[in-house]
Amino acid sequence: MTGVEVVSIGKTYGEVRVLDRVSAAFGAGRLTSLLGPSGSGKTTLLRIIGGFVAPDEGEVRFGAEAVTHVPLWRRNVGMVFQSYALFPHMNVEENVVFGLNRRGVRGEAARKEVARVLEMVRLQGLERRKPKELSGGQQQRVALARAMVTKPRVLLLDEPLSALDRRLRQDMQVELRRIQRESGLTTIFVTHDQEEALTLSDTIAILDRGRIIQEGNPAEIYERPKSRFAASFLGDANLFTGRVEGDAIAIDGGHIRMAGKPPEGATVTVAIRPEKMRIARAGEDALPGENRLEATVKEIVYAGAVSTYLLERGGAQIKLIAQNRETQAATIGDTVTLLWSPTHTVLLQE
Amino acid sequence: MIVLGRSYLLAVLAFLYLPIGVMVAMAFNASALYTLPIDPSLHWFAVLAENGPLLAATRNSLLIACATSAAATLLGTLAALALERRQFRGRSLLRILLLPPIAIPWLITGTAMLVFFFWTGIGRGIHAMIIGHVALALPYVVLVVGTGLKSLRADLEEAAMSLGSTPIHAFFAVTLPLLLPSVIAAALFAFAISLDQFVVSYFLSTPGVSTLPVEIYSSIRKGFTPEINAISTIFLGVSTVLVLIFAQLSHLGGKVDRR
Amino acid sequence: MAEVIEQRRMAAPSVARPGRAGWGIAALVAPAYGWLTLAVFLPLGAMLFFSFLKAAPFGNRTLQYTLDNYFAFVRRPYLFDVAWTSIKLGLLTTAICAAIGLPAAVALARATHGRSRQVLFLLIVLPFWTNGLVRIFSWTMVLREGGVLDYLLHLVIPGAASASLLYSFPAIIIGLVHAYLPYMILTCYLSAVTIEDAHIEAARSLGARLPMIFWKVVLPLTAPGLISGAILIFVPVIGSFMEPRILGGRVGVTMGTVIEDQFVQAFNWPLGAALSFTMLAFVLLIFAASSRLLSGRVGAQ
Repeated sequence: MTGVEVVSIGKTYGEVRVLDRVSAAFGAGRLTSLLGPSGSGKTTLLRIIGGFVAPDEGEVRFGAEAVTHVPLWRRNVGMVFQSYALFPHMNVEENVVFGLNRRGVRGEAARKEVARVLEMVRLQGLERRKPKELSGGQQQRVALARAMVTKPRVLLLDEPLSALDRRLRQDMQVELRRIQRESGLTTIFVTHDQEEALTLSDTIAILDRGRIIQEGNPAEIYERPKSRFAASFLGDANLFTGRVEGDAIAIDGGHIRMAGKPPEGATVTVAIRPEKMRIARAGEDALPGENRLEATVKEIVYAGAVSTYLLERGGAQIKLIAQNRETQAATIGDTVTLLWSPTHTVLLQE
Repeated sequence: MIVLGRSYLLAVLAFLYLPIGVMVAMAFNASALYTLPIDPSLHWFAVLAENGPLLAATRNSLLIACATSAAATLLGTLAALALERRQFRGRSLLRILLLPPIAIPWLITGTAMLVFFFWTGIGRGIHAMIIGHVALALPYVVLVVGTGLKSLRADLEEAAMSLGSTPIHAFFAVTLPLLLPSVIAAALFAFAISLDQFVVSYFLSTPGVSTLPVEIYSSIRKGFTPEINAISTIFLGVSTVLVLIFAQLSHLGGKVDRR
Repeated sequence: MAEVIEQRRMAAPSVARPGRAGWGIAALVAPAYGWLTLAVFLPLGAMLFFSFLKAAPFGNRTLQYTLDNYFAFVRRPYLFDVAWTSIKLGLLTTAICAAIGLPAAVALARATHGRSRQVLFLLIVLPFWTNGLVRIFSWTMVLREGGVLDYLLHLVIPGAASASLLYSFPAIIIGLVHAYLPYMILTCYLSAVTIEDAHIEAARSLGARLPMIFWKVVLPLTAPGLISGAILIFVPVIGSFMEPRILGGRVGVTMGTVIEDQFVQAFNWPLGAALSFTMLAFVLLIFAASSRLLSGRVGAQ
């Protein structure tokens, strides 16, 4: 199993630069998500890797082989389309065996492979059904089986779960993970749903307007976002901007500390994740070195396991997520003290 | 209100089918007069079998219709594939160029063909009529196949190619089978158009060679003979069957229902 | 913006096949358009050429050019009458088709459902695709002396003189209306289905009675259908020659029959050509006017 690499990919449609010097590496046997909002270029990148579209500049490599000029039908990729694209005039078995036949695998050998992969996606027994007789989730699995049966060099999925309802989606996410691990295929997954990306991926690449903003494993990106965009797109973040004075960053009415020394004299933006803050209880003091800010509770959103507090400080909104372990920390209208550790103050580079 | 509407519709239908009904009835009537009761008989159909010119014309009509259907369907399908599937400069222009055969009154097109064919030595006759009929049927074929293509998802061919099909193989394995109903419908359409075509055939026919509609026209001008009823009835039957098959294939009836 | 482009691209995928696209398309469309050129465009061109000649260029006669044929109306004033007859036929047929067809279309759209609607729809469309000549012929059966109408008349008033409606102006109109009525019903129907219950109910709730509802709701919504139907009918009718000849006999002299004569009897092809192009110009004018009218309406909606 080889990895996939794209080097300096560029693509322009009309006047829009859809992809701008994008380079990335997709680890062998791992699942990488391309995450970004609509129009970020993630689907275009996927289609370039697959060979559906030719890049204007740059190279695509499967392992050591440059495949940029290899036509789609010779690239041996497996693609799962957003709309599944199952052949309506063929039944499940015929759909799945299509790629095998093209590679010269027929008859009994082909049937065995089809059975193997149908079992992997848990669809045994449905070989004779036509696509229109299947549910959305089943169709999706057929599409997956069809793409995987030829043991492609890379498995590409274009927002395959977006057509499913929430419950089914969550179930399929787990299924997908299991299937991917079992098969060991290098997999690239396009999605705009950050929760999905966090759940499924070994690596996430965030795209915005044709550029890769940040790449890394989910925890890494979540805990240490490098840019304003990454911080806000993946989860929520409380952003503060201020000048560095000495060891701390001065914001209006207070100071924020981070672990390590901030750049001297610069104006910087920092981000703090909402679950990293806590509301000080009556009589509770800040731990040594902790940051503290005062704010007013504007709204509390109760969601069973957690509550989200929306607070206001000097015209800016702060979001805090707290587990409902004990009684509520505050009520609407209270002025409270927010505390958090300096290690959770993330310095943004952009 | 609804009853009024329905009754009105039925009255309109009665008007539409009145003369046709009369003609069909007379075809089966032994007497050539219009008195009741109708004396059922196949007499005129038998007389028809003796009518040489009429039978020859029918043979010609069928021959021309088959040739027209084959040629128009082939050419039209190819053109529709290009016009529907690809964006290219000049596409709208090409689309507009399909309008003249249907928009221009057949009188003008027919006489123009006569003029041109005569002048260039192509002449008149069966081959000329085939040329003319195909030209008239082409826009309809492109329309029917084009509509079928529109509802065909483009990503199916992509999926096939991602699984190892070359573009040509993808077309034959995926697109064509799904397009077949439309192609057949278009072929039937072209056949019906050719069979019914009068004006162009009229101008391109010669004394010895004509089609059924033209022959009927001459017969009417010369004087009425009852076997015209018979042949017209047969004609009507065949056209009706064709249209019904076509409607079934293109789900014409199905699209109507909105409630 | 990029997502719009992405979506548009989904609809018409351009798979990476550099360079061959142009040739492929040319190969696909060439046969059909080549045929059309041979059968339609070149002939029209030839006829245009002919219209400027004094006499048809056969038998090695020298070509003599003239504009006379286009001044035919001036040289042969009876053509004005003929043209007027054609236009009268067109207007009358269109008007009657509209009067009969619009209510039928509205009835079809609003008084029928499901299966019965499908059947009725098919029944209305069917005569359309049967041979026009056969239909005209069947009208002669009905209208002639000794025909069905005559027979029915004698049933009611025995001893009346033999009646024949054939070979008269009304006969032509009847034949034309019968032939083109389905067009109008079809186009009006396509517009009429856009009338929703909500529209009628809203009008009713504002106090409108039936005539008002028709005027303010039904008519505006079916106007596009009426206009396109009118075009579909008027244009062929002014060029028709079958119905006038067969049903009108000596009375049936229209532009269509005159042009036909030039080619089939008088063999004055240049004149026929010029008259044809004059008619064509008129037809194109109508198309231009109607498309402006139609797009204006659509814009207003």
